[in-house]
Amino acid sequence: MAKSLPLEGIRVANFGWVWAGPVVGQTLGFLGAEVYKVESNARIDLNRMLPPFAEGEPGPDRSLQNHAGWAGNGSITLNLKTDEARELARQFVATCDVVIENFGPGAMANLNLSYDELRAVKPDIVMLSMPAAGLDGPLKDIRTYGLSLTSITGLDSLTGYPDGPPIPVENAFADPYNGVMGAFAVLVALRHRSRTGKGQHIDYSQQEGVMQMVGPAFMDYVLNGRAGGPIGNKHPLAAAAPHGVFPCAGDDRWISIAVVTDAEWEGLIAAMDGPGWATEFAGVASRVEHIDSLHERIAVWTEGFDDYELANRLQGHGVAAAPVLNVADLLNDPHYKARGTFIEVVHPLGFKETIYGAYVKTSKTEANVRPGPVLGQDNDYVFKELLGLSDERYEQLKANEIIH
Amino acid sequence: MPEGALEGTRIVELGQVVSAPYCAKLFADYGADVVKVEQPRTGDLARHWGPFPDDEPHLEKSGLFFYLNTNKRGVTLDVSTNDGRDLFLKLIADADALIENNAPQRMRDWGLDYASLAKANPDLVMISITPYGQTGPYANWNGYDLNAFHLSGTSSRYCGRPGEMPLEHGTFAADFFGATAGAAWGLAAVVGRDLVGGGQHVDVSCAEAIAATFVGAQNIGGYAQDNHFEKRTGIGMPLGAPATILPCRDGHVWMLALEPGQWNGLAEVMGNPDWMQLEMFQDMFVRAQNAEAMYPLIEQWTAEHDKHEIMDRCQAAGVPVTAVYTVGEAAEAAQLKARGYITELEHPELGSVRTLGAPFKLPESPGGPTSAAPTLGQHNDEIYGGLGLSADETAGLAAKGVI
Repeated sequence: MAKSLPLEGIRVANFGWVWAGPVVGQTLGFLGAEVYKVESNARIDLNRMLPPFAEGEPGPDRSLQNHAGWAGNGSITLNLKTDEARELARQFVATCDVVIENFGPGAMANLNLSYDELRAVKPDIVMLSMPAAGLDGPLKDIRTYGLSLTSITGLDSLTGYPDGPPIPVENAFADPYNGVMGAFAVLVALRHRSRTGKGQHIDYSQQEGVMQMVGPAFMDYVLNGRAGGPIGNKHPLAAAAPHGVFPCAGDDRWISIAVVTDAEWEGLIAAMDGPGWATEFAGVASRVEHIDSLHERIAVWTEGFDDYELANRLQGHGVAAAPVLNVADLLNDPHYKARGTFIEVVHPLGFKETIYGAYVKTSKTEANVRPGPVLGQDNDYVFKELLGLSDERYEQLKANEIIH
Repeated sequence: MPEGALEGTRIVELGQVVSAPYCAKLFADYGADVVKVEQPRTGDLARHWGPFPDDEPHLEKSGLFFYLNTNKRGVTLDVSTNDGRDLFLKLIADADALIENNAPQRMRDWGLDYASLAKANPDLVMISITPYGQTGPYANWNGYDLNAFHLSGTSSRYCGRPGEMPLEHGTFAADFFGATAGAAWGLAAVVGRDLVGGGQHVDVSCAEAIAATFVGAQNIGGYAQDNHFEKRTGIGMPLGAPATILPCRDGHVWMLALEPGQWNGLAEVMGNPDWMQLEMFQDMFVRAQNAEAMYPLIEQWTAEHDKHEIMDRCQAAGVPVTAVYTVGEAAEAAQLKARGYITELEHPELGSVRTLGAPFKLPESPGGPTSAAPTLGQHNDEIYGGLGLSADETAGLAAKGVI
């Protein structure tokens, strides 16, 4: 392993809240950047208050999902309702390379932390703003939740059982997706800065970021005027069959099977011991056309098997098949265990908890997964060492609930 | 015209269909020089998947290929031959990154595993994006987007009705997620080469990226501690209400009114019906317990109104209700037009065709597609010439079917 991480020396002020913004900081932090959430006891991020809590004891430093989504970020506390705190925030930004925020447009300006004000203290700052629909346009002030943002991209209209209504994805898939894409955006701007010396203000519309995933269906609309609808588990371009999820033995056990090539189809037939009906589905065009009856036939065959055993059997014949995992399976699955996807760590407050580590593996560097953060854990370092406040002044700012 | 942010970054792509091509597109759309390598004659599988105009298959008319390969130059090369492999090593000799999504065993069979490539170019960052990743017991399993998505826990936990089959998110969701993760971590590896001491292998499992950052983030800590976990409900947000998709006169709306101000705003928009004042609907948790009684009452109102009207009036009252846009409505949305998100490109076979713009805007170095996806082998002469091959040599390789 190399001694240094790729983003060592990059410092980030992360005003991001809830989920998407913190994941941007987390990703940069895992890769070696020094990242601090700027938050406050005066207005605790609601994400810190979501159960379940460590050892069942509620508190802003005990939310288990918060720790998973925010690990890698440090934390300083500033009560940004006060002018003094805003001035300290600007002084801190002056030592940073990157600023992240995911408020609505104008919120940072209301805190006297607009791009222009931050550029005045750090001319080559890279600022990432990621409001729901971007910094301008008629919908710029739209209110959405992470889990409903997908509705204004067209993505929700494609999710559901075929011929049925749209079915919601019951959490904000868009948040981690935009968080990871946001980290890429920052890196693109940093690459530009290292070549030209110039920073910039990235205008990241979460609507536009997520809508990238709708590209395949968008092209069918553009080329053929078709708006599409819920596709279930069918191939998004109707180019493969079978392509679905089939029942297995046990309660809520399922297997995914995707057959794209003729060789895979032959493998599936062999795994099923060559049923007589298979000849009715020769050729991909025929399989796609008769996909519903094909799926019914396969479901009759799969339902007696254990999902893991059947996946192994099908893979032995070269067929793309995998069990459909539930939450418990994720923690127990041998593949995720072997890859160290989930790790038990000790939180700075001393309790053990399970979070995820490097969600991408790198051969020469090990991700810097810092559990936590505890509210204000980096105040001493940032305000005294980095900004050079005297002990007296620092204590006074804490007593006055400016650093708070 | 200002330069792209990634001007001067050199990328080679050996990928097909969605994950590696989308990852490479992210680099290309921000100005990197991306050379896409395709199998001679057949090309990227996406060329065979459509959507095609009028559903008529044509190697140069796939909408999927058109969307995912903007701003790239394309060559053909059969890397399974000795000549092809030698030429591929020349291509990556001074590249910053290789982006690929082949089965790990196939890359080894071709002699193009990371160890071999690092010998040819120690500064190369190799970004591998596969359903399961390079290591672990499923590394050599065959797989597609569908398998990776359902291995991530997303569908069992969050998508579908209880007892019915778990659902994908309506697109190649795992491939797009993995591609994005590969772009972020891969670009970091490129940026940090001086610190790290050269290139490295970036191993993305599409399933793992989602299992960790989405499902794991919200559920693993609780399960590990309390040995308890939840499954999909088909509703939306089962613990607070209203938080679900409801039908309206011309489609569907995402109905959300959780905080007191939002609930009051919704009441105002709906004309303050008496039932909304009942004790059983007075906070989001109680409403969730009485959801079966409440949703039909809200639905009576939504059924008489159009989705855009409902959205506009609710948004004006501070209620975060949105219309469930069809793909067509999203494509024509005023917001996206105002921001110039939809762009248009000239393609030799498809003509003038609209596509999606860059995922984020960089004022100093605008991104976005400016040139259409390459036709099969479009840049063979230019790129192989640039590597020092004479016209005779190129013709010789073409005659052997290598390019």
